[in-house]
Amino acid sequence: MRKAIGLFVLLLATLLGCRTPYEPEVPATELRVLVVEGYLDTEGLKSELKLSRTAPLGAASAFIPELRAKVVLKSAGGQVFPLQEAGLGTYIFEKNIDEKLSYVLEIELSSGERYVSGGLQPIVTPPIIDAGFKRDEEGVEVFVSTQGNANADDFLWTFEETWIFRPRIRTAYIYVPDLKNVRDRKDAEQTSLCFKTEPSPGILLETSSRFKDQVVFQKTITEIPTGNERIMERYSILISQKGLASKDVPFWEILKKNTEDIGSIFSPLPSLIGGNIQSLDAAKSPVIGQVSLGVIRQKRIYINQVEVSPWNYLDPKFNDCAIGEEAVLAKDYQAIFGNGAVVPTIPLMVGTTIIGYYPSSRRCTDCSLYASKLKPTFWID
Amino acid sequence: MRSLIYIVPLLFFIALATGSAFAQKQEQKEEPKVSGLFAGVSFERFAELVEKDTPYRFLFKKEEVVKLTVSLQANGDKLEDVLGVLFLKTEFTFSISKDFEVFIFKGEKKAVEFLPNYFQAPSKATLSAASVQDEFVRNRRYIIGVPGPGTEAKLQGKVISLENNLPIEGAIVFEKEAMRQAVTNKSGEFELLVPKGNKTLFIQNIGGYTEQRLLDIQGDATLELSIGEGVFALNEVVVSSGAMSQVARPEMGVQSLSVQEMRRLPAVMGEVDIIKGLLTMPGVNTAGEASVGFNVRGGAADQNLILMDQNTLFNPSHLFGFFSAINSDMVQGVELYKSGIPASLGGRLSSVLQVTPKKGRSDKIGGSGGIGPMTSRLSLEGPIGEKTTFILGSRLTYSDWLLDFLSEKIDLGASRAAFSDFNGTVEHEFGAKDKLRLSGYFSKDSFQFDPDTVYSYSNQNYALSWTHYFNDALEATFSVGQDAYDFEVEGEDNPLNAYQYRFDIRQQFVKAQFRQELGDRHLLNYGVHGIRYQLNPGEIVPFGQESGVIQDQVAPETAMDWSLYLGDEFEINDQWALSGGLRYNFYTFLGPQTIPTYAVGEPYLNENITGEARFQSGDPVQTYHGPEFRFSARYALSNQSSLKAGVNSMRQNIHLLSNSSVITPTDTWKLSDSFLKPQLGIQYALGYFKNMNQGAFEFSAELYYRSMQNLLDYRSGASIVLNDRIEQEVLVTQGKAYGMELYLKKSTGKLNGSLAYTYSRSLMQTDPSEQKEQINRSEWYPSNFDQPHNANFVGNLELSKRINVTLAGKYSTGRPVTLPIAKFNYGGSERVYFSDRNSFRVPDYFRMDLSVNLEGNHKVAKLAHASWSFGVYNLFGRDNAYSIYFVPEGGKLKGYQLAIFAEPIPFITYNFRF
Repeated sequence: MRKAIGLFVLLLATLLGCRTPYEPEVPATELRVLVVEGYLDTEGLKSELKLSRTAPLGAASAFIPELRAKVVLKSAGGQVFPLQEAGLGTYIFEKNIDEKLSYVLEIELSSGERYVSGGLQPIVTPPIIDAGFKRDEEGVEVFVSTQGNANADDFLWTFEETWIFRPRIRTAYIYVPDLKNVRDRKDAEQTSLCFKTEPSPGILLETSSRFKDQVVFQKTITEIPTGNERIMERYSILISQKGLASKDVPFWEILKKNTEDIGSIFSPLPSLIGGNIQSLDAAKSPVIGQVSLGVIRQKRIYINQVEVSPWNYLDPKFNDCAIGEEAVLAKDYQAIFGNGAVVPTIPLMVGTTIIGYYPSSRRCTDCSLYASKLKPTFWID
Repeated sequence: MRSLIYIVPLLFFIALATGSAFAQKQEQKEEPKVSGLFAGVSFERFAELVEKDTPYRFLFKKEEVVKLTVSLQANGDKLEDVLGVLFLKTEFTFSISKDFEVFIFKGEKKAVEFLPNYFQAPSKATLSAASVQDEFVRNRRYIIGVPGPGTEAKLQGKVISLENNLPIEGAIVFEKEAMRQAVTNKSGEFELLVPKGNKTLFIQNIGGYTEQRLLDIQGDATLELSIGEGVFALNEVVVSSGAMSQVARPEMGVQSLSVQEMRRLPAVMGEVDIIKGLLTMPGVNTAGEASVGFNVRGGAADQNLILMDQNTLFNPSHLFGFFSAINSDMVQGVELYKSGIPASLGGRLSSVLQVTPKKGRSDKIGGSGGIGPMTSRLSLEGPIGEKTTFILGSRLTYSDWLLDFLSEKIDLGASRAAFSDFNGTVEHEFGAKDKLRLSGYFSKDSFQFDPDTVYSYSNQNYALSWTHYFNDALEATFSVGQDAYDFEVEGEDNPLNAYQYRFDIRQQFVKAQFRQELGDRHLLNYGVHGIRYQLNPGEIVPFGQESGVIQDQVAPETAMDWSLYLGDEFEINDQWALSGGLRYNFYTFLGPQTIPTYAVGEPYLNENITGEARFQSGDPVQTYHGPEFRFSARYALSNQSSLKAGVNSMRQNIHLLSNSSVITPTDTWKLSDSFLKPQLGIQYALGYFKNMNQGAFEFSAELYYRSMQNLLDYRSGASIVLNDRIEQEVLVTQGKAYGMELYLKKSTGKLNGSLAYTYSRSLMQTDPSEQKEQINRSEWYPSNFDQPHNANFVGNLELSKRINVTLAGKYSTGRPVTLPIAKFNYGGSERVYFSDRNSFRVPDYFRMDLSVNLEGNHKVAKLAHASWSFGVYNLFGRDNAYSIYFVPEGGKLKGYQLAIFAEPIPFITYNFRF
C-alpha cells in the first residue's frame, strides 16, 4: 500500500447571487375586480365595510373606491339591516343583532352588478385577557393574550397606533402678515403637538387549539424597534381581536402568503384569492373578499417614553434643523417670514424689548406637515 | 474435484506515462478500424461494407462463404479481432497481408501471416522494461489446475481491467483449437470447458486489445486475468453501458453517463455532480438553478426513482440543492431510463436513475480524494484477505464561510449550513458461485436561515445482497435492506413557542432478481420485489421546559407494496429485436388508521364528513393493484441505423407533497390511501438512431407522448404541513407531456462532445369533476417545469493527453410562474391579485461554463496521481432569474428577480488518487 501524499488547497470562489428589479409585461387589459373587506360587529360597535376595485400594478394608488353601492345585511329570519355609505367606499354598520341567526350580505353596485355573500354565522369572540408590552434589547414588543373556545378557535388581530409627534424645533411665535408683526401663537395655531395614526399593515392570525387549554399567551402584535418615532413621547395602540370561523382562515392565510411570504427560495406558489362573496350575474366576475360577522373585542394601551427609556429617538431627516444664528430684525419680518417657509422661534431681546427673532424653517417646526393637530377623542394624557 | 486458484500476475503498461512512448505511437502506421452494426448480413455484404470504409480488400471464394452470415457489432475494432470473433466456431481462417489484403480460407488451417502488432498493443512495441515484462507474461506458460480424471477441464475465471481492477463485461475468452468460447458477465466472470494440455487462451475485450495467455491445463482451475482496456485510459473509469451502442440495444430513452464524462463537465464549487451531468442530456431539465431535483420528460421531481445500487434515495440533494447527494468518487456510472424502463424497476412515474456504485479494487489498497472550496472528499478501497474487497468514501464540508459570504449578497439569509456523507461497500466471495455484498449510504445535512431555526435531514440506506450463479445461463441476486429519510426543524425563536417538527419515512425491501439466458436469443429477467413503507408524515413537539406548544402528530402510515415482474430480451432475427416485460403491482394501505367517511358524491371537505372507519393494526384499509407494461422494439434499418418504438406504463404509490416550484427538503411524503389513488402514467415513444462516420458520430431523435392520472395539485392556500386530511387540500389532476429530443454526440477524436435539443411540453388540468376548486377553470395549464425549448452543448477539446478543456452551454425557456397582475388594499396593506396559474414565464435561461482538467503525469513510480480541475461557472455572468417575486416596499409593490449565480464563479479543485 502506498501512502497518501500531502494535500494542499487553493480555494477561490466568489459566489455572488443578486436580485435585480423586474417589471413584468402584464397585458394592458385592465382588470377591475371587486374587493370587499369588512368584519361587522354584532353588538353595535361602529364597524366598516369597504368596497373597492383592483388597480393596475403601476397605478399610484391601489385603492379605487366603489361608490353609491347599496349594501344590506339580511338575517335568516328576513330582517334587513342596511349599511350607510360614508364616502370613499366605506359603508357603516352599527347595529346590535341576534348572534344566533345566520346572515347574508347583499351588494348592489351603482352599475347594477349584484353580489351576495355566503351564509355568515356571527362569532362571539372571547375577550382579551391581557394586553401589554415588553421592553428588550431590540425595542418594545406589544402583546395580547386570550383564550379560545369551541366556537372561536381562530383569531385575527388588527390594531391602530396613535402617537404624539413633535417637531424637532418648537416655537411659540407666529408671524401675522396682517399685523406685519410676530405674536404668541394661540392654541389653534400651535404646531408643536400632533398626533399620528396608522392602521396595522400586516395580518395577524393564530389558532388557539395549537396551545394548551387554547390559551394564546403573549402573542406578539407589533414590534417597535428602539429609537422609532412612535415612542418619542407617548404612544397608544388599540388592539382589535376578531374571532374567525375556521372556514374564513384560508382566505386570510392566502392573503398573507401571497404578500408576505413570497420571495424566499422556498416560497410556495402564489394562490388564487377568492373569498365568500359571489357574483350573481351571468359573467360570474371574480370577487376578492372574506366578510365576517362577530364581536370585536378591543383593548387600548399606552406607552410613555419614560417607561422604555433610553429610547434615543432621532430622525436623521431633521438633522439639518437648526435655529438661525442671526436674528431677523423687525424690518425684515415681511421679507423673511412673509411666505411662511421660515418661522420665528426665539426672540432677540435688548433689555426688555424684542427687536427680532431667530428663524428656523417650517419643516423643522411644524408637526402638522407630518401628522394631525387634532387630538383624538379617545386620547388620555 | 478440488480447484486451485491461480492468479496470473499483473502487467503494467508503461506507455501510460512516458512521453517517448507517446511519440513512438504517433509514428506508427495508422491501422484501419472497423465499425458498425452488422446484423445478419451475408459475408459478401460484410466484406463490401468493410471495403467501402477501409483500405482492406477481401479475397475469398464466393461459393465457400455463401452460408456464412455476419451478426456482430464493431466499434472501432481491428479487422483481425472482428474476423477472429466471426470465424471462431467456423472452419474458416484468414490472413491479412501488409497491403491490407484479407485472405479467407476454408478447411485446413493455414499459416497465417499476422500484422506485426497482431495480439499486441501498439504501445508495447517500445522496448521499455515493463514491456519486456509484458512479453514475459504473455509468453510464459502457466501451469494451472490439479491433475484429475477426464480429458477436459473447467476453467472458472474473472477478467478484470488492468487499469482499474474493475470487472470487464462482455469480454470474449476463447480457445482456438477446440473452438471453445465464453463471454464474461457483468462481474467479469466466465466459465469455459477446455481440453487439457498446452493451450493458448485469448481474451478479447471489444474495443480493446486481444491478450493471450499460454496455459498448461492440468485440471479444473480458477484464474484471474488482468487485461488492458486501452493504452491511455485514465484510472477508475468505466463507461457503464459501453457494451451496446444506442443503435443496437432494443430499448430507447436510456441515457448513460460515465464518471469520466461527468468529470469533464464544469462543476459548481468544484464538486463533480451526477445530476448536473444528467442535465446535459436531452429530455432532462430542472426547475431551479440550484435545485438537485430534476424533471424527466415533463414529470415532477418526485416521479424519478433514484437508485443507489439497490437502495432508494429519498432526498438526492445536499445543502438545500446546491450539491447532489451522490459522491461521484464512489460511482462507476449512471444510467437514466426515460423510457424503456426494464420490468425489474418500477415505483415511480417518470424515470429511473440507476447509480452503479464502484467496487473495491482487489489488488491493493488505494484511494482517491479531492479538495474543493467547500467540500473535501476521501475514499479508500482495497482487498481484505483474498476474497473480500471494500470501498469506503466520505465527504465533508469544512466551514460555512461561503454561505456567510453568500448571505451578504442575496436574500438567502443563510447563516449556517453543513453536510457530510458516507458510502461503504464490502464484498465477499464464498467460493466461485456466491458473492455477498453489504453496502450502506448515510448522509446528514443541517442548515439554518436565521439563528433560531435549525433544519436538518438525513438519509440512511443499507442493503445486503447475495448473488448466486447457478450455471452459465442462470444467476440470481437476493437482497434485503432499508431506506430511510428523516427531516427535522427546531425552532427556538421564543422559548414559549419553541418546537421541534419532524417527519420520516422508512422502507424495508426484499428483492429476488433472476437473470436467465434461454437459448441464444432470449434473455429473461424475472423476480419479485416487496416494500414495506413506514411513514411518519409529521409531528410537532414542544421544545424545552417553557414551551406551550402542544404535541401534534399526523397518524403514521404503513403500506405493503409487492411487485412481480417478468422481462425478456428477444432477438427475433437480425432486423427485429424486442425487449418487453410485465410488472404487476399490488399495493395495500394498512392500519392502524381512522379514516373519515365523506358523504357520497360530495367533495372531500370537513363539512362533508359523515362518520369514520377504524382499522386495527395490519388490517388492509385500501388495496390498489394493476399491471405495468414495458415494451420496446428495434428494427435495424442498416448496420448503422435503427428505428425503435416503445410503450411504458408505470404506477407510483408514494407522493411527495410539495407546494413550491422546486423540490425542497421540507416537502413531506404521503402514501396512497383511501382517497389519494396511485399515480398512473403511460408513455409512447418512437425513435431513430444512427451512427455516422464509423461510429464517430451518434445521432438520435426521439418522440414521446405521455399521459398521467391522479397527479397532485393543491387548492389555493393549501396547508400541507401537519395536515391529517391531505385529501381535503389535493385537487384531482391529470397531466400530459409530449416532446421531441434530438441528440448528436461525437465520442472520439481530439474534439468531442454533444449537442442536445429538446422541444417538450408538460401540461396539467384539474379534473372537471373536481368540486373543491378548479385551477384555471379546468383548462390545461403549464406545469411548474414546462420549458418548451431546451438546448445543451458540451464541447471537449483534448489539447494533449494531460490537458483537456470543456465548454458547456445550456439554454432553456424560462419556467412558468404566476405573477401579480393587479393590486388592491386589504387588511391595511397593498395586496396583489395573481394571474391564472403559470400564465407567465421567467426570462429565458442561458449559461456557459468552462473548465480545464489538468492531469498530472502518470509515471508509475509516483506515489499518487493528481489532477487539477479549474474553471468558471456562468462564464458570461448572465443574470439568470431563479425566481420572480413582489414585495411591498414603503407601501408600494416592487418586483424583483432573484438570481443565484449572477456572476462568473471561478472554481478550483485538486483531486488525487493513490
